[in-house]
Amino acid sequence: MRARISSFVLPALIVVVAGATVPFLVGFNQYYVLLALQSVIIASIALAWNIIGGYAGQLDLASFAYVGLGGILATTLMTEYNITPWVGMFLGAGVSATLAFFIGYPLFRFGVKGVWYALSTAALVVILHEVSIMVLGSFDYYIPFVEGWYYLRFRTWENLYYFSLIILAFVISLNLYISRSKVGYYLKAIREDEVAAEAVGIDIRKYKLLALMTYASILGFIGYIYIVSQRTFSYKTFDSSLSVYIAIIGIVGGLGSVSGTFTAALILKVVEEYLRGYLGGVLPGLHLLLFGVLLITVGILRPEGLSTLTDALVKKVKARIWGGAP
Amino acid sequence: MSDAVLLEVVNLSKRFGGITALNNVSMRITKGEILGIIGPNGAGKTTLVNCVTGIYKPDGGKVLFLGEDITGRQPHFIALKGIARTWQKIRPFYNMTVIEAVTAGALLRTKDVLKAREEAAEILEFVGIPRSKFEVLGKNIALIEHKLVDLARAIATKPKLLFLDEVVAGLRPHEVDVIADVVKKVNREMGITLGVIEHVMRFVMNISDRIVVLHEGRLLTQGKPAEVARDPLVVEAYLGTKPV
Repeated sequence: MRARISSFVLPALIVVVAGATVPFLVGFNQYYVLLALQSVIIASIALAWNIIGGYAGQLDLASFAYVGLGGILATTLMTEYNITPWVGMFLGAGVSATLAFFIGYPLFRFGVKGVWYALSTAALVVILHEVSIMVLGSFDYYIPFVEGWYYLRFRTWENLYYFSLIILAFVISLNLYISRSKVGYYLKAIREDEVAAEAVGIDIRKYKLLALMTYASILGFIGYIYIVSQRTFSYKTFDSSLSVYIAIIGIVGGLGSVSGTFTAALILKVVEEYLRGYLGGVLPGLHLLLFGVLLITVGILRPEGLSTLTDALVKKVKARIWGGAP
Repeated sequence: MSDAVLLEVVNLSKRFGGITALNNVSMRITKGEILGIIGPNGAGKTTLVNCVTGIYKPDGGKVLFLGEDITGRQPHFIALKGIARTWQKIRPFYNMTVIEAVTAGALLRTKDVLKAREEAAEILEFVGIPRSKFEVLGKNIALIEHKLVDLARAIATKPKLLFLDEVVAGLRPHEVDVIADVVKKVNREMGITLGVIEHVMRFVMNISDRIVVLHEGRLLTQGKPAEVARDPLVVEAYLGTKPV
């Protein structure tokens, strides 16, 4: 039993310990710490997506609907009512999960799947984008400068980075736990063949809804951290292209693979930032072109995702640690 | 021979647009038997099983399982009640390993994944999949193995009644004999009642205790395999009447 618990907590601990050294390695350079923070946020979102997209196989393109809703709620509660984000983030998670319920219930009830599910969820981001223009107006909202653990905002990025690492560790553990549990087996069976899954007694609506709400609540929770890392929120927080980007990370990483998704998130985020930083001024759009070429290359060489590489690596490391078959 | 009725189908009808796939079909499956369900293409065999297992909602009639009305209930509810099935076209879980796929079936009766895996391993060995194949992905195994894994996945849900929909279609003759042995073993040693839809006569005549014949959505006749094979109505349904 102890071996089983360690098998999903240990990888998360390794990531936290390794991640915690990053600010020291970059000499507390704020640009790199912020980049690390953004990478960890993207990795957490992509790993949350892995639950609905990777395990349950539903191509969800609505991630920033849930990030935006939860994040804007928590931020507004803080700026308008001085309510700590420690409460606001949980409320954000709850509201995002509720939205996911009202989206997911009819979609799954009427068997909307495949590209139609993808289109419906993509539309959700666009709808929230339009609605928020009406509600918020076309303004950028800057968060008034407040500081301290009560507000989860600091002069430098390190504390928020460490906090985001803990969230990442939680999401990694949750992923690994799910993949070894009954729910994980059921979600993967649904991904492979819904009709066959139903015939072995799986309530596919219930389990898809469970996966969707878990994913949405994690995103709603992270929303506040995301907005703080961006320093501002607006209708633009409901970002369609970023939502697609999250799905791309999950697919490039390999559906259902924690190590693959995590690796893809870090590599893509860093490469994207590097290309933008060095080529953004040379020829506008060149970095996007190269980024596209990179994605296509991965698609051709590793059509099943980076997981074919990372899973083999993880297996080797495991064999080293436990000295036998994992 | 106990004559306890396991499944009772009463006046079941199913229409697709203008086509009546099932027309007032009534039949029974008794506990412990192997029932062969035969008939020419389009006779309504698969439609019958789809209506019983909840894939289709019938347009009329009733399905009673152990006396309980399960007409039009959802497939997962019917699986929980104890009716499992395999598919005419294999429906494997390609990106799960063989043992994972069967474990997914075994998890219907337990929450404990380790226990379900042990049960899955036993069932896989029972149907004749060697341990060396357990960790192979579904997309990397042969057709006969797919048939056996699909069968194991259905058995893992611990059904009282199992429908096999053309389980030997596309197999070579010696593979058909392998499946026949497994199917008989499932019936005798596990005590699972079987409904076997089949076109391969050598197979279905060999294993069935009793046979029902469907033709154009109606129940044509039923009886012992030897009687049914000689029945002029059945011969006519398959081969047609003499040209005038």
